[in-house]
Amino acid sequence: MSTTPAISLTGLTKKFKDVTAVDDLTVDIRAGRVTGLLGRNGAGKTTTLRMLLGLAGPTAGHATVLGRPYGELPRAAHRVGVAMDAIGPVTGSTVRGELLVWTACLGLDRRRTDEVIGLTGLTGAEDRPVSGCSTGMKQRLALATALLADPEVLVLDEPANGLDPDGIRWLRDTLRELAAEGRTVLVSSHQLAEVEQTVDDVVVVQRTLRYAGTLADLTDGGAHRLEERFFHLVDAPERALTHA
Amino acid sequence: MRNLVHGELRKAVTGRTWWILMLAGTFLCLLSTFGFASEGHKAVAAGGSAADVTNDIARAWMMMFLFASLSGAILVTREYGTGTVARSVLLAGSRGRLLAAKTAVATAAGAAFGLLAAGLGALACAFAGAPYGDSAAFTRETWLILAGVFACSVLAAPWGALLGWIVRNQVSAVALLITLTLVVDPGVQALAPEAAQYLLTIAMSSVYRDVKPDLLPVPWAFAAIAGWLTAAWFAARRLLTTRDIV
Repeated sequence: MSTTPAISLTGLTKKFKDVTAVDDLTVDIRAGRVTGLLGRNGAGKTTTLRMLLGLAGPTAGHATVLGRPYGELPRAAHRVGVAMDAIGPVTGSTVRGELLVWTACLGLDRRRTDEVIGLTGLTGAEDRPVSGCSTGMKQRLALATALLADPEVLVLDEPANGLDPDGIRWLRDTLRELAAEGRTVLVSSHQLAEVEQTVDDVVVVQRTLRYAGTLADLTDGGAHRLEERFFHLVDAPERALTHA
Repeated sequence: MRNLVHGELRKAVTGRTWWILMLAGTFLCLLSTFGFASEGHKAVAAGGSAADVTNDIARAWMMMFLFASLSGAILVTREYGTGTVARSVLLAGSRGRLLAAKTAVATAAGAAFGLLAAGLGALACAFAGAPYGDSAAFTRETWLILAGVFACSVLAAPWGALLGWIVRNQVSAVALLITLTLVVDPGVQALAPEAAQYLLTIAMSSVYRDVKPDLLPVPWAFAAIAGWLTAAWFAARRLLTTRDIV
């Protein structure tokens, strides 16, 4: 098991006028593991990911991925795959058309499009307009786009939203397979039961960091449910970081 | 950069926006064409110049530049509406590269609008008078007007794109462009023609060789347009690199 952090957040803070969305977040995400970024709605998960990717500037602190800020990472688009709820498809595109746009931007061979369509179970839906796809298919398409460049790190924001039970099982298996290939997967979610079956490590945030460590340590090797520990952490008054 | 421009080109032709705008622009230009042909017939019958009528018909196709500017604005702002801009930024390497690529693609789209306007404008000049039994009278001036119509569309599209980066909202950007082109600039021209000649769309009037008084000479008009585009570029770049994306 690698202990080199793939992602580091140091004192990361984001304020929107008088509202502090993320407050002094310091945590390392280990390479080659699936890490769940957990928190309630509005806990600062997506804002944290936006700052990590340079889409939003932090008020204080800094974030690095593979040792550099995203904007300074050589070939960042090829090394970090991203799927976020807030990122919609190109207006008017089909499934294949959407992937071809990003394949062109990345300078990849067109055949890669067919590969990721196969990997994400979108075969047969290539010519369907994205606007006519189900939520589950859109989630698969978002993951397909993230996988286009065969990245070392995957940052996925709420990838299980809108998935049916089959889709959730597919996502779980896919994330485990990706991690088994040595990739780092950071997945934000508030679906605790699902996360419990998928992740190796857990980061719990509720504006501030509430926990960072292994799932096994948090649940005492499975003696406690993640849900039980989660509510204990997020409902507790802000306190010092608990490191596993 | 070539990959990025390729990807942006793919985005630009995805969906129906581009051909709807071209169709709408063509429709409005044709309406003006029929008006000029009808009025021109009366003018020629009264002893007017057929060459003037042909030039008026050619000039009617300048309206395509409004649609070229809208295409540039929509190219940018629709990405803010869907959040696609976040992926565009992530894959571009830097926000500056994305700005350059989008501006280049918007300019190429403007050239397509310009070719359409100049081509159909030439055909309109040749055939619009036929139902009235009038013949076209192409002169050097006609071709200069059509060249100006092309140039205005080419320059209007990046203007729209840069305003799109500044405004970031599709409805606001479209409303701003229409208001500037159809209300603000002509209004300023009516009130203060000396000052208005430096406004972007009024400077474009010089380029497509409008016959109004108080217009800049063509080289100065190009300089004024370049000044507006440069200012918009720096404003767009500054705002794009400092504001949060989505």
